[in-house]
Parts: sequence; C-alpha cells; structure tokens
Amino acid sequence: MSARDQILAALTRHPAPPVEPARPESRPEMPANPWSVLEERLAQNGGRLVHSHSGAWIDSVKWPCEFAELTHVYVAKNVPESSPTPPASQLSPTAHLSTLTSRGVGATAKAMRDLEPLEVTVLYADFAVAENGAVWHVPASALERTAALLAEHLIVLVPASSLVATLHHAYERIALAETRFGWFLSGPSKTADIEQSLVLGAHGPRTMQLVALES
Amino acid sequence: MGHVDRAREFVRDESRTKWHDESLWFVRAKRDDAADTVPDWEALRDEAATIKRDALSRLPDLWRQFETAATEAGAVVHWARDAEEHNQIVLDLLEERGFRRVVKSKSMLTEECGLNPFLEARGIEIIDTDLGERIVQLRNEPPSHIVMPAIHLKRSEVGKLFEKEMGAPVGLDDPDALTALARKDLRKRFIAAEAGITGVNFAVAETGSFVVVTNEGNADLGTALPSLHIACVGLEKIIPAPSDLAPFLRLLARSATGQPISAYTSHFRGPREAEDIGSPAPAMHIVIVDNGRSDLLAQPSFRDALACIRCGACLNTCPVYRRSGGHSYGTTIPGPIGSVLEPSRDPKAHAELPHACTLCGSCTNVCPVRVPLHHQLLTWRAHLAEGGHHPTRRRVAFGLAGRLFAHPRAYEILTKAGRRVARRLPTAWLDRLTSPWTEARTLPPIPARSFREQMRARARQATKGPR
Repeated sequence: MSARDQILAALTRHPAPPVEPARPESRPEMPANPWSVLEERLAQNGGRLVHSHSGAWIDSVKWPCEFAELTHVYVAKNVPESSPTPPASQLSPTAHLSTLTSRGVGATAKAMRDLEPLEVTVLYADFAVAENGAVWHVPASALERTAALLAEHLIVLVPASSLVATLHHAYERIALAETRFGWFLSGPSKTADIEQSLVLGAHGPRTMQLVALES
Repeated sequence: MGHVDRAREFVRDESRTKWHDESLWFVRAKRDDAADTVPDWEALRDEAATIKRDALSRLPDLWRQFETAATEAGAVVHWARDAEEHNQIVLDLLEERGFRRVVKSKSMLTEECGLNPFLEARGIEIIDTDLGERIVQLRNEPPSHIVMPAIHLKRSEVGKLFEKEMGAPVGLDDPDALTALARKDLRKRFIAAEAGITGVNFAVAETGSFVVVTNEGNADLGTALPSLHIACVGLEKIIPAPSDLAPFLRLLARSATGQPISAYTSHFRGPREAEDIGSPAPAMHIVIVDNGRSDLLAQPSFRDALACIRCGACLNTCPVYRRSGGHSYGTTIPGPIGSVLEPSRDPKAHAELPHACTLCGSCTNVCPVRVPLHHQLLTWRAHLAEGGHHPTRRRVAFGLAGRLFAHPRAYEILTKAGRRVARRLPTAWLDRLTSPWTEARTLPPIPARSFREQMRARARQATKGPR
C-alpha cells in the first residue's frame, strides 16, 4: 500500500464527528469613514496612505530622491498615466510614464536577478480592504512579483472606488481557482525578530505607499 | 534533564526572566488591542473553530479534492507517512536536479521533521531566511517560539553572533543595523538559491491553492527566483473553500502579533508561469505529511488540537511559558499547545509537560480556534497517570492522597494531627519538606483549625443568634 493510501486509510479509520459549519448571518459593514480606518491600519503595518487624482499620482507620492535621478524603476504595465512633476516638465504626460517604464528591466532569466538594484516598483492593485489596510494584487508575471520584492521602495496604486469592508467581502471578489499567484500586501517588508523592535525593510521594500486614485 | 530542570536554569537569571516575561506580555497586550477593533471577534472564533472541526471530520475527502485541483494546476503532490519519508522526498527532489543551495522560510513542520540537519549531512546548504530563524540557525539551536523564534535573545547576543558570522563591528546592537547586515547577507543567498522550501498556513481543498503568510516577504522572495518550490504541509492545514480563508486571516495576525494583517499573504496555485528563457521550467512540489497527525485524530480527547493555526497566542499569554522560556520544554513546539501535542508523540519523554501548567485557562481564552487547551492538559495528566508515566514519588503520593480523600473521617483525624505537629515545626523545615513549591516562596502560617472546623463553629454561632 502506498504512503498516500495508508494515510488516507488512517484518516478514514478515526474521523472526527461531523459538525455543521457555522456561517454568521451578517458581516461587519463598511465603516462610516473607511479610508481613515484603512489609513490607521496601514500605518500600523508600517505603510502610508496617499490620496491622489488619477492623472497626478506621480506628484502625490514621495520619491526616494529627485524624480529625474531615479535610474532603476519597475512600473507595471497596467499603471495609469500621470502628469509629470517639474522640473521634468519638458516631458509630455505619457512620455513621462514611458520614460519611467523604460528604466525598468526586461523579462529574461538574467533580468530576474538583475532586478536587484531596483529603487522603486510601482504596481496597480485590484482593490483595498478597509479593516486591515491591505490591497489585493495579482502580479502580471513572475518578474513583476520579483520586482515588488526586490525594490527598495514600493508604490501601489488602487482605484479609490474599489474598497471593501472586510476580508469576507474581499474573497467574494477573488477568483482563486483562476489565480496562479495573488497576494494581499500591507506595508513594507518588516521584522521584529530582534527584541521586538520593529525594523522596516527586512528583505524587501523599506517603505510602502498606497495611493488611492480618485478618477 | 526535564522541563523543571531547564526552567530552573532559565529563572536563575532574574532580570532576564522578567525581561522575557514582559516582552511576551507586550505581545499579548497588542493582541488584545487588535481583537478589540473587531466587532465580531467572538463570532469569528466560533466560525473558525467549526470550519476546522468540519474539515477534521472529512480529511480524506478534502485532501483528495486538494490533490486533484493542485495536480490540475501543475503541481506535483507527494505523501509522507513520517519525518523520514518527508525528508527523503525533499532530498530526492533536490538531488535529481543536482541542486545544492536551498532557502527556506519558516516552517514548524520542517523543524519537527529535522529537515535541516538531514539535508546538511548530505551536503546541501539550507538557509533559514526568516531573520529570527536565521539567528537561531546560526546559533545552532531550535526556535524558542513558533512565531518569534529568537524571542529569548537580547540584541547584544545577536550583535555578538553577527560579529562572528557577518563581520559586524564589535559592540553593534542596534536592531536596524543588525537587520540591515542580515538583509545584505541573505539577499545574496536568495539570488543564488536553486530551490525554495516553504511551509503552508492554509491549504484550500476546492482550488488546490495554498496560502503562506509572512511579514518579511521571505517566503515570496524564496519562491520568486529559484525554479523549484517545495511546499511542506501537515495534514491538519486543510480548509474546504476560498471563502473559509477570511475568518482565519482576520484572526491569525491579530492573535499572533496584534497586527491587522501580515505584510505578505500569498496565494499559490501551481508553479509560476514559465517565463525565463534558458532556465529550468518552474516546478512546484507539495509534500503532505502525517507524522503522527492521524494518530492524534484517533484520540477524541485531543484531536481538537489539530485545529491549531500556530499563531502563538497561547504561548504569549501562558504564565509558565513566559517565565520558563521556550527551550525549557525540550520540544519543537513549546507552551500550552506544545504540551498538548508532544505527549501524543512520545508520552514517556514529555510526561512532565502537562504539569507545567497552573490551569489558569488563559490559553483557552485567547485561542482563535477555541482549542480547549487547559482542559486537554488536565486530561493528559489523567492519561499519563493511567499509562504509568508519573514518577514513583508522585505515584505513591497521589495513591495515598486518593485513599485518604475517599475516607473523610480518616482525612480529618490525620490532617488534624498533621496541623498540630506542623505548627510546632520551624517554618524553614516545613518549607524544605514541601519543596519544590517552597523553593521561591514560604508557606503561609498553619491555621489552628481546619476550614471545616471553622465553618462548623460559625454555624453554631449562627444558630445561637446574636448576643
């Protein structure tokens, strides 16, 4: 008998008695001030909330250095266009984003590892969860997933209209059976493994900004 | 050396004991604050508890369903009856590809199976990537906590370790600087790794997906670059459907560290897409492990412990754990949940653990999936006594006490005589006689009359009425 069959047989011999799964009739509703709840919870996780107009998010976020000095940036393909920040104002809005994108790296085996000196990664998430300050994001590729982890700073854009109250509502929107990889992100990579002192940037990004885009 | 001896070692350093106690209580307090922000917290605990108990009642069906769905998604599913089989499966997967460099993210299951020493002995470099895990790995010791593996160490001790292992400057003890050093060192290893091993927090039967939760992002980084992902999962980790994830993820981080959610909650379903030209095609292997879990399922008094989601809340709240340290338990999983789980593996070796408990019930009160921990610990004591696992001294003493309690008249005469003698003895003598309770405290004065005598006297007075 194979290990599989032996294990399944052992589990069949002594099952726990059946129970009726409890499903509460109601779930917590959207709080009156959902974005301030989200802002507080995200801050607890070490992240920062920014509100912005969809076309101007580049102006609204904090960049680690002068915008023009950024050299290694990954911008996800689905990130909406934004108008440029002076002094880079010579560029047209779309040109600006494409300049940003062109500083990214291609999707070759070498490039995955060459993502290493990445300064900033910009992602576009599906929706945000008010109760815990998380966003649901499905990377377009393995490269995008890696870029989100190897960058020093992470910026995640999310449409302000797509906010859900709790994780219960979140899973109603997620098609897990069709999702090869998806994640809830909340705040930067962090650890408190040395004497419970919170350190941001354990392995991945040291900062995380969530941008709520108003259309 | 048993728990008592190791705990005695630990408490010898009073200031460290106090520090350890307070660090964990700080986490417990954060858990309370986080729970208070959730209006439906208690209903959520009920829901999570019943989902797990429902899953435990139909494990074979759920795992078959998981196997089918995961296979459809392109993963390869393996089954391991015990730790040896598990380790061998992992080794074979690495050896058939000629892989030598492995990164691992925190998994108590691979700790339980002794995977690290097994692979190291066969020439494979396996690096724990969770910072706390890495620290204890470099110190060559097991984790002392299931969520905070290095909670027993002070920053100066980590500094000394990094001085030796990572070239830290002498005297460096700033957590930010120490973490930065580890980050730099581990980043190289992530980039160089050929395979990534992760644990599993939840396996979803319906979709063949599984969820891994970390704050550091190490499970993600460890599986994003290497072509081979091996996920090791215990039989108890299965839940039926994606919607079942919500109650658990709402409870888990809040119970563990008081966070609203962990930084990374990753959902995997099959290997990642083949994208890298010229590198091996990405592969995902899932190893489903029994290693004593089906035996535990067969024990009605203890099977509820299989509902545990390893949040560590019962450790943080336990007055014994906080003051004796994780290593004093001498087990993979310490604290209340460890004291329930470990005796089922080896009753003889761990017979002491259910006694390392004051039955205060705090663990049961904080458990997000309502495992009746302190009731189980009490039940274990009875089981272990019946199994003859108590030390002779306790067996004789309990035997005599049992007989005495069965005869009230004899009890009264004997205790009366005992009190009379005891009241004449010097306190220091009495303390020595009643050791170990009086090692760190002294007995209260022995009263002249027993409780029953006092009550009888009061009753007499009451019938006489006020004078």
